Formats: sequence, C-alpha cells, structure tokens
Amino acid sequence: MDAADPTTAEGSASSPDTAATGTAAAAGAACAAQNGGRPSAPVRFPPPATPRTRRRWAPAPPLLLLLPALVLLPLALVLPRLLHGGGLELIGRFLVAALTPSLDPLVLRSALSGLATTLGMALLGWAASLLLGLLLGLASSRVVWRTLVGVVWPSGLIRRLLALPRAIHELLWGLVLLQLVGLQPVVAVVAIAIPFGALVARVLADLLDGLATDRLDALRLAGAPAPAALLTALGPPLLPGLLSYGGYRLECALRSATLLGVFGLGGLGTDLRLTLQSLEFQELWTGLWLLLAVMLLLESGLGRLRRRWLMPPRLSLAAGRVGRRGREMVLALLALLPLCLLVARALAVDPRALLAGPGLAAGGGGWSIPFDLPGLLALPWPALIGGTLSLTLLAAAVAVGLPPWQLLLAAPWRPAGIVVRLGWALGRLWPPPLTALLLLLVLQPGVITAALALGLHNAGILGRLLAEGLADAGPARQQALACAGVGPRLALLYGCFPAMARPYLAYGAYRADVMLRETVVVGLVGATGLGSQLLESLSSFAWDQLLALVVVYALLTLIGEEISDRARRRLLGGGP
Amino acid sequence: MAGPPLLELRRVTVAGRGAPRLEAVDLLIAPGERVALLGASGAGKSTLLAVANGLLTPSQGSVLWHGEHPARSRRLRNRQQARIGTLWQDLRLIEELTVQQNLNAGRLAAWGWPRALLNLLVPLETRANAAVLQRVELSAELLSQPVGALSGGQRQRLAIARLLRQAPLLLLADEPLASLDPRLASALLQLLLAEAAPPRALLLSLHRPDLLAGFDRVIGLRQGRLQFDAPAAALNGPAGAAILKDLYQGDHPSSAMAAAPGAGPGAPASVTAGEAHPRTDRA
Repeated sequence: MDAADPTTAEGSASSPDTAATGTAAAAGAACAAQNGGRPSAPVRFPPPATPRTRRRWAPAPPLLLLLPALVLLPLALVLPRLLHGGGLELIGRFLVAALTPSLDPLVLRSALSGLATTLGMALLGWAASLLLGLLLGLASSRVVWRTLVGVVWPSGLIRRLLALPRAIHELLWGLVLLQLVGLQPVVAVVAIAIPFGALVARVLADLLDGLATDRLDALRLAGAPAPAALLTALGPPLLPGLLSYGGYRLECALRSATLLGVFGLGGLGTDLRLTLQSLEFQELWTGLWLLLAVMLLLESGLGRLRRRWLMPPRLSLAAGRVGRRGREMVLALLALLPLCLLVARALAVDPRALLAGPGLAAGGGGWSIPFDLPGLLALPWPALIGGTLSLTLLAAAVAVGLPPWQLLLAAPWRPAGIVVRLGWALGRLWPPPLTALLLLLVLQPGVITAALALGLHNAGILGRLLAEGLADAGPARQQALACAGVGPRLALLYGCFPAMARPYLAYGAYRADVMLRETVVVGLVGATGLGSQLLESLSSFAWDQLLALVVVYALLTLIGEEISDRARRRLLGGGP
Repeated sequence: MAGPPLLELRRVTVAGRGAPRLEAVDLLIAPGERVALLGASGAGKSTLLAVANGLLTPSQGSVLWHGEHPARSRRLRNRQQARIGTLWQDLRLIEELTVQQNLNAGRLAAWGWPRALLNLLVPLETRANAAVLQRVELSAELLSQPVGALSGGQRQRLAIARLLRQAPLLLLADEPLASLDPRLASALLQLLLAEAAPPRALLLSLHRPDLLAGFDRVIGLRQGRLQFDAPAAALNGPAGAAILKDLYQGDHPSSAMAAAPGAGPGAPASVTAGEAHPRTDRA
C-alpha cells in the first residue's frame, strides 16, 4: 500500500485534482508532494479511519467496484436487437487480419511515415501545452499572486477563464481551426496545445495551492525576495507531481494526435481511417501494430523515467549518484528544445500560417457571423443535451464497470490476464471513432453503439490504472488468502479490491467528466447529442449554431466537472 | 498420536541467491504437537513457514499435508490449504472492511461466491463471530467497526480470531510476538497454545528462547539447516543453554544484519538484537 491510497495520505482529500493526474503513480507522487516532497514511502498501518461509520448498510468497497457493471445487464438485453447480420463476416476478416498484417514495403513505408507525423504532432503539441500550462498555471495560482503581488482575486479570474478552452475537446479546436486556416500541419499542434495547456494549468495551480506554505512563509520572513522564495520553497515539492503528470500528458497527446488524424488532420490516423473504410484490414493492422508498439514503448519508457527520477532507490547515498537525477532532468529538458525545432522543421509546422488562413481572410471583413435566433431556438436542445448525457453515462458505465470484472474473470489463468491487458492496450490506442466505425459493421448507429465505442476506449485507460494500482499494492493480502485455500478470484476480490475501490472510482468519476467532453468524438456514429449536431453545423458553416452549441457544450462540461469533483472528494476524503 | 502427520517435509531445499534459504530440511508435525521454531534473523524461519503453507514450492524435496502431496487440481489443493492457517507477521488484515467481514474472510475457502458477496453487503454469522471474538477477549461490539479503527493489540487478537474462524488443523505463526510488549506477548502465546489441542497442531517461529514454556518440542534453524529438533525439556539446564548458544552463534548486533541475504520475503527486521540472545537465567 503506498501513498496513492487516500486513506494513508490525507493530502489527496484537500486537492481532488491530484487524482485527476492520470495514473496511480501520478496521484501518488502528487500526494507525496504534499506530504513534504518525499517519494511515497510504504505505510504499514494507515492512520485510524473515522470510527463508527454511519453507513452500516452500505456495500463494502470491493462490492463498489463490481456494481457499475450492473448497468451493462440491460445493455446486454438490448444489444441483440441492434445487431444486423451483414457485418459479422467482415468482423471475422478484421480479426483474422490481426494475425496477418500486410508486410508490403510500400504499406510499411506509408505507415511509418504516418506514424512519424503523428508522433511529431504529439510531441510538438505536448511541448507547447507544457509551456502554455506552466505560464497559465503560475498565473492562476493563488500562492503565486499572493506572494508576488499581494492580491489573490486575479488568480480566480484567470482560472475561470481557463475553464472555457479546457471544456472544448481538442477535436473541436482542430476542426474549427481547420475551417479557419485550412489544412496546415500547425493546426493539429495548436489544437492539442490549447486544451492540454489549460488542463496542465489547472493541475499545476491546484498542486501549487495544495502545498503547505510554512516553508514559503519562513523564507519570506527571513527576507528572501518573493520569486526566489517561491522557487525554493515550492519548486522541489512540486516537481514529482508535475513530472509524472507531464509524462502522462505525452501519452494523451499521442492518442489525441492519432484521433485528429482520423478526422483528416494528417498522420497515421488518416491512414487508419482510410484503410478501415476501404476494408483493407491487413494494411490497417500494419499501422495498428506499429502504433501499439510505439505506445507501449512510450508508456513503459515514461514509467521507467518516473521511477528513476521520482523514487531513487533507498540508501542510494553513494557519492557518484548524488545530483544525478537533477543533471539528467536538465539535460532532458535541454535536449527537448532542439528536438522540437527539428521536428517542427521536418513537419513544416509554421505558426505564421495561423494568421494567414483562407477562412480568416474570408471572414476577415468584420467577422460577419450570420445570426439567426429563431433557427437557433429551433434546434432540439433537450434532445441534444439528453442524448449527450445518456451517451456519457452509458460510456462511463462501460468504462468503469468492465475492467474489474475482466480482472476477476481472468484471475485464475495467467495467459488470460495477458490477453485482457493487451485488449486494454488496443482499446486505449484505437481512437473511439474508429471503434465506432468498426462497431457499425455489426450494430446499428445510435447512442448505444457510440457509448460502446467511447466506453471501450476509456476502459482501456481505466484498466491500466487498475492494473497499476494492483501492482503497487503488492500481492501480500491476496497471497495470504490463497494460502488459506481461497480461490484466485475471491482472493483478488477480498485481498486487492478493497484498497483499490475508492481511488479507482474517484478516477472513474474524473474519467466520466473527460468522456462528457469526448462525446463529440463519436458524434458521427451517435446520431444523437450535441456532438453530432456540432459536426453537422461545422460542415455546413453555420457559425452561429456552432457558437451556441460550443457554449452549451462548455457549460455542460463545466457542470459535469463540478459534479465529478464533488464525487471524487467524497470518495477520497470520506466527506463532502 | 492419531492419524497421519499434519505436516511432513522431506529433504526440502529452497534455492536462494547464493546460499540456499533452506537446505535438506526434514520435519514431521503430528496432531496435538506444539512446536517452537527458533533461529536468528535470516536463518530461514519465514521460508520454512512459507513452504509449509504452500506459498513457496521447494526447489527440491517434497511437502506432505495430512499425508498427501499437494494436489494438482486447484479445487483439491484449495481444500488442502484450507486446513492450514497462517498468522502472518504483518497480520494481513483487510483494512477497508469491518471486523465482521474480516472474520468471515476466514471462511471464504468454505464459502461460494453468493455468500462471499453477501458478506460484503450485510452482516453474516454474527453469533459465530462474536464467539471467536470472545475467545480472544475482544468485545463483540467491535464487529461493525472498520479494522482501521483498532489498536495494535486488538489487531493481533483479531488476526488470531480470523484464524479461529478458518478452523485449520495446522496453525502456523510467523513471529507473532515480535513487536509486542511482554504482557501482551505472553497472553497471545497462551491463546495460541490453548488452541493447539489435538487434532490440531501449532508451529510458531520465535526469536526469544525465554518464551518456550508450554511448547512440546523445539526446532532450531541456522543458515537454512535444521540445527536441532528436541523436546522442549531438553533445552532446560546448562546443556540447553549450550545448544541455544550454538544456535545463535555469531548473531551479535553487528553481524545480525550481515546474515540478512538469506532472509525470506517476510524476514523480520524489527527485532532488537538483545532479544535474540539466549537467556540462560531462566534455567
């Protein structure tokens, strides 16, 4: 049990966003940052929980993990009715093609160049978002304003303003920019950088404001100048949380870059979509396997860096190692800048293109947006909003409910566990609209199909988190049960799930909020909800509709964010 | 002695990095026996217990439970292992569940899924649980408390109570007294000894030779090898003192850590070296 467990680290209650940082390790590191900057040390006995819990009837934690999947039962009843027989043979061909990807040099070369483009876009978008997030995060932090200027209110204002870019999915940014400036390599980079930057800013500000300020106060009282005091007192404890969150964002950026490609912004995503639509499954799998390999490499590489930099082995006071990780980090940062410049040059990313786009030139004459109020009001708003919400809830039930059951079912056989993990990896990497297209081969379009596509993708992300949490918790209690003759599934349920339940569900709540934002991605298939209407308005250049839809969407996302924040705080802190 | 031995080890060797963690250990425990396992840190006590409860498979030699080889089929093996109960040094209670649910976790091997799930929803078998709590001198009021709210001594007793709910034939205990104050230690020891009446048996690893009263038999491990296996009475008097001295030879405060490479996964690290020395003043 490590500090990622909320019962052992009370820090996570004060700042729920530490759980939003993506991985258990990230959350753990963030908590560690609040506990004085030490990497999470194992805690033998957590401090006593509040005695006399009032909820005597409530299901125990491990059961909470199994409950969300109950929503899927009615889904399973409805699903056969949505089936249409036509595509089963195609699905079969798709699955068989997984084993025989095309090794044609031409296909390979095209897939590799597409992969390079996607990677480059991800890297540039990520680097730009970090820079943006760092600046905006500092600007929206209460501590920074109080220390430097003496007033706090601007931080709140900036934080609220940042909610808008954050609430709009990178795909929307991409499509809007595509309309405005045309197909330019820079579009994808900016589309990733804007929402990601706002997200990083929020997490950074929350981390900063969640840190204990006693050291800062001490330095200030001793007469240190404000900027130096800030850097000295808050920098080191901030670093672990920031590093692991930054690494996690790079993984997200790769997924986003692939997704943007699916919608025509170039790179491997475009190839994937074209090969899927032309039913060239063998070529499709060439790209998919490549992408999977790169993603797994990236994830394990980042994980290794995180462990190396954040959790130096204990008793490593050998003289040669002191300061090593600091030097490595500085070198890595220094190497990043020329790398980004090289990649930008190779991809022909040119920020000036943003100012000289055809859309801007056309609309440049006073931004004459047609405004058609009756037309706006005529949109079926309740149905749109209702569709979006039901899509989100269904997808969340799939994403949160499936992984614990998959782990349980696979528990007795090691190979089954590997298959489940591979399935999660594929689900993570496979952009939801492609899953949706694939599902359309056998299912009719509609909310359920869209929810399945979105849910399976997020199940891959949540499943990985669950597996990481189990690995961190260690097998001791599970082994103790197994040694007493308890079967492997029950040993998992009683030995490992209790500690995982609350952090996992808290992350699920955060993920549900992300899924609300992501519904636009499966809008095409969903045939309902704001997302599909948005895409329609966008393609018919109905700018007033688009604007209204984006505003409603952003509002909805902000409300959802608030609800999921509260849910997380309850789950992690035990109180409202 | 009735029935087959509860535990039999035949030439058991467990490989380790460098030196083996256990080497050619023979051991037989019959129903009704109360056996103390002595040895310095890293002598292989935890490894021996892990082999006995099936956590570790020996690299050579064989283990027999109740006269049977460990079954290949998982169902049969679970049934065999359900007859062996382990009191872990770190207790391995389920912190997030209530006392009642933890006690019922001792019955999981016998229960199927429906009851295992129901246990997470409503209080089950309250009377049986209250009874075992009483046997370990805990109040039945604790049943609805989360384990996190218990004190250290209460947790120890709860772990024993869970063991009683499992109702195993062979009780294994890994340094259960290591981190306890003397009064609590002797109370818990009496509790465990009292439970080990036929057809049950007890194998308990210890650091301190001053707590041997009540055991029938003492075995000593040194660097993975069985050093002696003698009736407890044989350890009284000057001859016993010499045996013990031999067992802990070289186990001085400074060298206690040096012996660590051979330590098992749960090897105790929290014992002060002073306790590890034989105390001959009892005799």
